Amino acid sequence: MRVLSTIKFTVLRMVRNYIVLLLLLVVPILLITFFSYILSGVTTETGVPLRDENAMQMVLVFQLFGGSIVMYMIYNDLFTENKMRIYSLPFNQTMYAFSIMLCGAVYSILLGVILMVYAQLVLGVVWGNWVWTIYIISLMAILSIIVCLIFTFSVKKYKIAERLSEVYGVGFVLLAGFFFPMPENAFFDFFGTYGNPLTLSIGAVHEMDQSNLGEAWFQANILLGAIIILFMVMLILGRRRMG
Amino acid sequence: MTIFKFALKRSFSNTTNLIFLTLFPIACIFLPNGEDWPFLPYGYQYFGILILFVGIRLATIILEDREKGVVKRLAVAPISHFQYLSQNLLAYSVILILQCILVVFGGVLYGQELYQPGWLLFLFVSFSFASLAIALAWISIYRKKDVSFLVYMSLIFIVIILGGLMIPIEIFPDLLKRIAIIFPTFWLAEGLNWIVFGENILDFLLINGVLWLYTIIFIIIGSTRKIY
Repeated sequence: MRVLSTIKFTVLRMVRNYIVLLLLLVVPILLITFFSYILSGVTTETGVPLRDENAMQMVLVFQLFGGSIVMYMIYNDLFTENKMRIYSLPFNQTMYAFSIMLCGAVYSILLGVILMVYAQLVLGVVWGNWVWTIYIISLMAILSIIVCLIFTFSVKKYKIAERLSEVYGVGFVLLAGFFFPMPENAFFDFFGTYGNPLTLSIGAVHEMDQSNLGEAWFQANILLGAIIILFMVMLILGRRRMG
Repeated sequence: MTIFKFALKRSFSNTTNLIFLTLFPIACIFLPNGEDWPFLPYGYQYFGILILFVGIRLATIILEDREKGVVKRLAVAPISHFQYLSQNLLAYSVILILQCILVVFGGVLYGQELYQPGWLLFLFVSFSFASLAIALAWISIYRKKDVSFLVYMSLIFIVIILGGLMIPIEIFPDLLKRIAIIFPTFWLAEGLNWIVFGENILDFLLINGVLWLYTIIFIIIGSTRKIY
């Protein structure tokens, strides 16, 4: 368990990366604030203030981009810059990779929770079910990390993997129809509903707010299933790349 | 015009740039119409965002030169800083103008309802120049291109929302409505509204004038920094 002693430094490196903090904390805070000013007083058909709805969507949207820091650290430590050093250390490299993933997930979830707290305390957004929302945020964070790592392992050039991770984030936001309505056919219908982690997570939080337990668990479990399958894929790809 | 030629070549050599410069504008043409808002098809409402991104991608090439020390070599070469900058900017403007022409006339051919395509093209070209100038001023305060791009990206998100490009400005609270005027995206949104409803040509020229003013100011800011 010598890996444990590295966790402190992993955390420090993550916190010191101010670009990530800017993109995943400051920008969403600004956006949520602006939107809540713009949308104050408007309600949806179900009577929920549009502001609350929007804050929830923002928190989940920015989880899509949470994997970038893990991707960067794994690539740096295990494939390029620090490769020699890390491999000469007397600990299990696989465990080290997992510890980075775990730290990244916790960090990403923490940022999400900070956003939630900010929205509640400063803007007065009411969160239906804290525990459930945090659970969904965790699923999204872990999924994003796994997807980013799959990109890192499967593409030769890191630059392209980075771009792909952005495509993953922006693409699913687009497919969810946030910017403009998607054309209606089988492909877009699937990726606008059950094939899209963003709509799944938003749906899960919604259903829980209206206490439709069955549907909420169903949507969350699809996410969990995707995580498990992609985790296997990631393990296989990662073994090939590292070995 | 050697630098001009190579600036053009370099802009297209990068895969990401190629996608930004060709695929995305073509995708813009085919986006659907909105229901109540925006008045123009989505692709044209959001084309401004793309112009901002293309602007920073192109201007980053100058930053890359600075990072690699090419600018220092240029300083001892028999070529002035003015020539280097003007030819680079000329190449980028040519690319941006071509892109605007592609989007506007592609839309006309495809049959999108664009009201006044000629003026729309003029507006996009003005905004392209403003975007390029802002990007140039932006990179002059950075040394690392990744950092400059990422921070600019987050800035774009905020500016397009506050400028009223993604949400109609009418529903903003008063304070935000007044603040919006300082963002170039606000003037783009105004211009797009003029394309649909406007009658008085002077209003439109005023809108473009403001964009040109942004261009001049930011070009001056951006061109003062030479080597580092």
